[in-house]
Amino acid sequence: MLGLIMDEENSDSISQDLDNDSKMVLVGSGVRIEGRIDGAESTDVSGSLSGTLKSSRISINSSGSFNGDMNGQDVVISGNVEGEITSEDTIIVNQSAKIKGTIEYSSIQVSYGAKLEGSLRHRGSIQNYSTVNSVSDEKTEDVENNTDEEDNQ
Amino acid sequence: MSIFGSNEKKEETNATFLFDTEKDTINQSNLAKDIKIHGSLEAKDYIEFSGNINGTIKSSTVNIRQTGFVKGTVSGDSVTIEGEIDGDIQAKDLYIKSNAKIKGTIRYTNIDIQNGSIINADLFYSS
Repeated sequence: MLGLIMDEENSDSISQDLDNDSKMVLVGSGVRIEGRIDGAESTDVSGSLSGTLKSSRISINSSGSFNGDMNGQDVVISGNVEGEITSEDTIIVNQSAKIKGTIEYSSIQVSYGAKLEGSLRHRGSIQNYSTVNSVSDEKTEDVENNTDEEDNQ
Repeated sequence: MSIFGSNEKKEETNATFLFDTEKDTINQSNLAKDIKIHGSLEAKDYIEFSGNINGTIKSSTVNIRQTGFVKGTVSGDSVTIEGEIDGDIQAKDLYIKSNAKIKGTIRYTNIDIQNGSIINADLFYSS
């Protein structure tokens, strides 16, 4: 059972192989953490983490769960996630994963058996999406204007 | 096995194709890349589609190849997407390959997505 945020000096007895600059967050199985984590290099969750997480590498293991918003470059999901996932590089969703929410990604790989509910958004296409939205907004405005004109007539 | 899409058949067809489903052999329909369809395409066993359809494709097994483009609905027990879909996909087993481009809604029981595919879709899981 581990529940560590390793940034400062910490006990050698638990993990001697991690140096203090590793910027690593470990949430051990059975441990619950709530709050906001930022500036981490690597985050490994086997317990439960809820809140906001920003870390270059994120791994939610099969016994782990996450609730909230996460932002990372390389993300690996094997456990339960509810919320928003933003991956700037690669996201790998393993067979045991259950995800509910929005996934924004550049590159995604999903193994057969994983359960995903919500929406997938490709980062390269998001620009196009906002254009489409703004066009449709304009159309709506046009329609509104037209009705106004009709009302006036 | 029926093959559509000879070079003479470049005009758009407005039709519903219903393939013979009574034979013992596996019915396999292969639609080449120069075919364009407005309407619905249905088969019992297998459709391999490389063309362009505005409408519906339905079969037990559907394979939308790399040149295939579907605007509308694709449904089947086992669906493989290598091409482009703008619309709805319904599948028990859905395999999305690395060249696939998907926009719309996906309803599935099992899903497998390969690295490289571009998907902007709402996902619904049903057991």
